[in-house]
Amino acid sequence: MVDPRIYEMFRDIGRDLFTSNMISSHGGNLSVRLGDRVVIKRRGAMLGNLKPHDLIETRLDKNDSGVALASTELLVHRTVYMSTPALAICHCHPRTAIAFSLSRDELVPIDNEASYLLKKIPVVTEEFASGTPEMAKKVANALKNYKIIMLRGHGSFATGQTLDEAFHWSSTLEESCQIELATKLINEPFIEYRKMSESYNKF
Amino acid sequence: MTGWNEKILDVDLTTQTYKTYPLDMEMARLFIGGRGLGARLLWDLVGPEVDPLSPENVLIFTNGPLTATGYQTSNRFSVTTKSPLTGTVLDANSGGFWGMQFKKAGYDVMIVRGKAEKPVWIEIKNDVITFHDASDLWGMRVFALTEKLGQNNNKRNVLCIGPAGENLSRIASIMNDRERALARGGPGAVMGSKNLKAIVVEGKDRTQIDDPERFKFLLYETRKLLAASPLTSQALPEFGTVVLMNIMNNIGALATRNHQQTQFEGAEAISGEELTEKYLVKNSSCWACPIGCTRISKTEKVEGEGPEFESTWAFGAQCGIDDLPAIIEANSLCNDLGLDTISAGSTIACGMELSEKGYMDADLRFGRADQLAPVLEAMAYRRDIGSDLADGSLRLATKYGHPELSMSAKGMEMPAYDPRGMQGQGLLYATSNRGGCHMRGNMVGPEVLGLPKLIDRFQVQGKSSFVILHQNVSAAIDSLVVCKFTNMGVADEYFARVLSSVTGIHYDTGEMTRVGERVWNLERLYNLREGFSMKDDTLPPRLLNEAPADGPSQGWVVQLEPMLKEYYRGRVWDENGIPKKQKLEELGLASLI
Repeated sequence: MVDPRIYEMFRDIGRDLFTSNMISSHGGNLSVRLGDRVVIKRRGAMLGNLKPHDLIETRLDKNDSGVALASTELLVHRTVYMSTPALAICHCHPRTAIAFSLSRDELVPIDNEASYLLKKIPVVTEEFASGTPEMAKKVANALKNYKIIMLRGHGSFATGQTLDEAFHWSSTLEESCQIELATKLINEPFIEYRKMSESYNKF
Repeated sequence: MTGWNEKILDVDLTTQTYKTYPLDMEMARLFIGGRGLGARLLWDLVGPEVDPLSPENVLIFTNGPLTATGYQTSNRFSVTTKSPLTGTVLDANSGGFWGMQFKKAGYDVMIVRGKAEKPVWIEIKNDVITFHDASDLWGMRVFALTEKLGQNNNKRNVLCIGPAGENLSRIASIMNDRERALARGGPGAVMGSKNLKAIVVEGKDRTQIDDPERFKFLLYETRKLLAASPLTSQALPEFGTVVLMNIMNNIGALATRNHQQTQFEGAEAISGEELTEKYLVKNSSCWACPIGCTRISKTEKVEGEGPEFESTWAFGAQCGIDDLPAIIEANSLCNDLGLDTISAGSTIACGMELSEKGYMDADLRFGRADQLAPVLEAMAYRRDIGSDLADGSLRLATKYGHPELSMSAKGMEMPAYDPRGMQGQGLLYATSNRGGCHMRGNMVGPEVLGLPKLIDRFQVQGKSSFVILHQNVSAAIDSLVVCKFTNMGVADEYFARVLSSVTGIHYDTGEMTRVGERVWNLERLYNLREGFSMKDDTLPPRLLNEAPADGPSQGWVVQLEPMLKEYYRGRVWDENGIPKKQKLEELGLASLI
């Protein structure tokens, strides 16, 4: 039985992802690591409307009956947990960031908040973008060096110690991309205000 | 290779000789420096047959690849030994200037073995090592000795013991730069047992950096992050670590009167705000530190560094004392005598409870500020009641038939955070390799300060994951070696990048954390070899059975058993707390057993 406090975290972050247009009705997923266990969203459940039975607890290192119910992207989550110190993962579909990922190999923010928090977000390419071993390996490798990465044309994977933290990186990325999109609409010369910003792409 | 000096200085006090030899760089890659390197060397040098206060024990002083680079807080260094207080592996680290100077002298490690026939002090000027007779210095207190040996912050730095170390108090610290301390676990007694009074260093080397441009960028970004964090740019500089007093009291997690309560009615009188308003002269910093949490405080009797939060708590709430000048003076006295303030204060509190309950024939009473100074003097010189208190609360309480009144884990006195109000902190204390310690992981961050984000402090399920992560990260930071306060503004990923830019070896955040995991497991193996077992992963019965009667933590005891089971599984240890072979192989430790 998952602690009600943990369920409340999933419910609140899931609802916020949906209401902030970071996912479609059934898109995205969330998970946390509890020692040698993973708690992850049930396959097909709606993040914006999670019930306690929508959380599935399964083993980190091998399969048990929980895999029959867990999100299709369980393998990605497990691989990330085995490869990084992450305790929480937020996967969502931030629309503006996805749009930029279709033409760039990395996203380097120009706004102050994301420059400060993220510096650079690499874009990873994988054709079969749903829970395959190849995708799991690529996402996990990228997350060894960055706390949030983009899967080209699909969405973001962010890690943290808590869902709160992973959601923070996700929403910061989308906000940053929306700002950059707005600057393109304004279409005026960019005035650099950050010292050493030329080093951000080497972060 | 850049970052390290690649050189060990090995001193034998028995023969008063020394040698130097290359540092094993594969060992350095795996354990980095500081605490990690110290633990790895101790594994080879000091086995279970060695008494901590015998000549066969060693003192291993270590710095790290970041030390003296100029990276923020790259001033720290470590000493590793077998603890005379706990019998466990012990690492204590300290700030100030000595660590930076030691690195500049051209060494990563100094091993001190044996025992001098009569008191000596050592002077290191790069390749010139001199043994001096210290017969005329034996008996001197720390402040006078530091001055006499020529302390000059940026050029010549003094590390020494006071009377407590000479008299083999098991809670004696090693002091450096006058008022910084390698405080916990009794390393001062080990130094005293070797008849070593002081080590003075002067250095002139510069630490080489692999990628200076990247390093410069990270230095700049770190400065921005520390300036942007309210903790590192406002709370710590303005109030020092004592800023935590009111915070911990307000949530009902401030251990009071030997942990009999979790809130102290006198907290406001000993708070950071009170210290700043009435007794602060100015704040000060260790070398290369932009935070400046050090207090320079003044009363009618003393002026000097401190007190830190833990010291203020130990002589304050834990002893039921709200007299801040008396606490400042007790802190200063401990620095001069070379005593660990946390253990000293908590041992006095234990004595107060034993005395008030009639278990010990003494006049110690909670709230008696006038008793602090004379008792501390008696402890350092092992006079009267002080001889019982000089070896810590567990030996004291055991002698008087009530070991359960020692507020310690594995024999080391716990600091201020009452774990009944912070479940993760309870697990942290119980599993800490050096005993009851708040610096072997930081659950105050997530459970109280919201670093990186706030988690429910009463949550039990899943809490072990946070404890394991924070223990690993803590061990990694202690191996770099930098100050943990930087981690309040700078995420772990920065440390990995800085380490890579200095050494030229790629460390991602996970690999750096894995170094910490390797260190943690090695320390565990060391303690197991010493005879410790899962029965030692516990807390005083009071914290497991006696819930606070009121306040925000009312009704809570530490839910240790379920957290501990989850912790062992999360660490890939068996049900007896022994690391499984697969984990040791994964960490490169399997060959050690």
